[in-house]
Amino acid sequence: MRKLQVFLGPQHPGAPGNVAFLLTLDGERILDVDLIPGFLHRGFEKMMEYRRWDMDLVMSARICVEDPDHVELSYTHAMDQIFGVDPPERAKYARTIVAEFSRLASHLLWMMHFAGPVAARYATSWAIAAREEVLKWFDYVAGHRIYHHYIYPGGVRWNLPKDLKERTLQVLDRVEGLVRDMERGFFLHPVFQRRARDVGRLKASDAVRLGATGPVLRGSGVAHDIRKALKYDAYGMVDFEIPKGEYGDAYDRAMVRLREMYVSIGIIRQAVQQIPEEGPYRWRLPMALPPGEGVGRVESARGEFMTHIVSTTEKPGGRPLEPYRIKFRGPTMAHLTTVLKHIVHNEEITVADFPVVVGSLDPCPPDIDR
Amino acid sequence: MVLKLLGLGFRYLLRRPYTRLYPYKEPPFTTERTRARHLLYMDRCIGCRACQLACPADAIKMYKIEGEWPKNRLKIFPGVDYSRCTYCGLCVEACPTSALVMTDYTMEHLITEDKSTTLYTPEMLAEPPKGEHRVTFTKDLLKPPPQPPPKKGGGG
Amino acid sequence: MKGADTGRRIEVEVEPSQLRERLRRALEEGYDHFIGINVVDYPRAGVMEVYYFVESVQRGGELLVVKLRVPRENPALDSVSDIYPLAEYQEIEGHEFFGLDFRGNGSLRKWILDENWEGPPPLRKDVDTRKFVLETYYGGQRYERPKQEKSLQEVVE
Repeated sequence: MRKLQVFLGPQHPGAPGNVAFLLTLDGERILDVDLIPGFLHRGFEKMMEYRRWDMDLVMSARICVEDPDHVELSYTHAMDQIFGVDPPERAKYARTIVAEFSRLASHLLWMMHFAGPVAARYATSWAIAAREEVLKWFDYVAGHRIYHHYIYPGGVRWNLPKDLKERTLQVLDRVEGLVRDMERGFFLHPVFQRRARDVGRLKASDAVRLGATGPVLRGSGVAHDIRKALKYDAYGMVDFEIPKGEYGDAYDRAMVRLREMYVSIGIIRQAVQQIPEEGPYRWRLPMALPPGEGVGRVESARGEFMTHIVSTTEKPGGRPLEPYRIKFRGPTMAHLTTVLKHIVHNEEITVADFPVVVGSLDPCPPDIDR
Repeated sequence: MVLKLLGLGFRYLLRRPYTRLYPYKEPPFTTERTRARHLLYMDRCIGCRACQLACPADAIKMYKIEGEWPKNRLKIFPGVDYSRCTYCGLCVEACPTSALVMTDYTMEHLITEDKSTTLYTPEMLAEPPKGEHRVTFTKDLLKPPPQPPPKKGGGG
Repeated sequence: MKGADTGRRIEVEVEPSQLRERLRRALEEGYDHFIGINVVDYPRAGVMEVYYFVESVQRGGELLVVKLRVPRENPALDSVSDIYPLAEYQEIEGHEFFGLDFRGNGSLRKWILDENWEGPPPLRKDVDTRKFVLETYYGGQRYERPKQEKSLQEVVE
């Protein structure tokens, strides 16, 4: 047996973004996989120690390009704890709506990344068309398409527009129509089912042990969701279910994401109806950071996102404006190291199946590198 | 199944494309809140450097402009380096006199082939953009201004 | 906990020698989901604080934080990668960014910083990365903008 080492690099169309893999092959079969991160390391954690806390919010969005609002949300939660404020009611709903739209946009982008390697090009363009609607909604509420900086410590950055309800429901109807078409045309398609069924199985006990979160964990049949468990922001006030899979293969994970899109649409519909018409949208916070510690955990589109912020008066010179240390924990590191290794070691994965397995884990490499 | 899918695909064939025919037929998509190129009201600026200190990308620097500026004793005004600006809008929020605002004249219009022209001096910022634009992001968007949080009475 | 309830957690402080024992007990208690390791550097006190975040899926996402202090001079502690598999990679991160030595973790190496950084562990508080980068990679020269036709007198900060 001759082993072959192949570098599946960041520019390979089957690679999920700015990350590379070192594959050890025996013929077609992958025996081992090593992750090579670092192509997108920008040193955000150190940069943030040099900058004021409101500037750090702007930087935090750049940690995960595809799902920026959840990074902002977890940063904001940690900051709220340090300042000891509870956001106003209206801001809680606004945060929920924005975060769910971000999840929708992220899942639609995943759909595009995933349908490409499976060679369903039509689904790729439908997903992008639906995402375009979401991005236009973001432009209308937050002023930008990709990096919104809308969720802000103490509330949201500015008030929601007056015609929010009508406009949002309109956008949701259009997106839902496209997602329904995608379901019929891609997810329930027999070719896709044959391609993704029984590929990359992950048992429930292994998923928990290896540190998988989000749709990967739920695809294995563990109904664990931080939104439901901690009921942060307005998630305690809306009614939603946690979709979960059965076998834990690539197809189950894909279906969990599809159903999560419907769940997100449902949550936004309820939140838009329930949001209070009047009331403050943000509390004004002091410039100086009080000493303290905050942990913000949110359920991002890919799994659990945690921000740990420590603020001290360690640095001489009076009131600190910069946090002392910020740590971001993204969900992708677990998925691309322990989970992927486990799948490859326990199952016959060929090079042709590799993009399907990696795609079904929905990696966002920037949150490994940061 | 196959026929259904063919029908579904056919429906999409007849739809209008989602892409915009930028730049020849349509302008870039903007809304009433789009944050893009700044506009500087030089008569309102007091030269306090709040925008410079608030900029996370170090895009703003202050420049001295000679002239009669009754409000601005130091005669310094912000200039934005658009090769660095991320359009986050923190400078507009920081400005105490609403001298700096943002328009929806997007970065697509600011595209240039010459790297050395991306620095917009205060005079260039004070001049409204040549194309069609509207002032989108001002401090009016932050109305009513945020108040300090209420003091919590026991138990949180 | 004040503020939003995402920060609810149980904090335990242990000695470095008790770490493995405490985390093994945590696993038995149902904290089966490893989240991450955070390191905070305190140069004035001469210590580094290491935080282990462990979550319990069975108990509805309860968070346990195990905190310990190691001396800055000789920052060595036991690896827990055999208890929680994900800890192996989080420990690599602690090693390359803070220079921590996790005894028993065989794969400590430069991982994210591989080929990107030749120098002291960058996230330590006494390492000024901006100065280091300027001196090492840019030869002391700051990046300057190309000269613009309209030359202006820049206000000196």
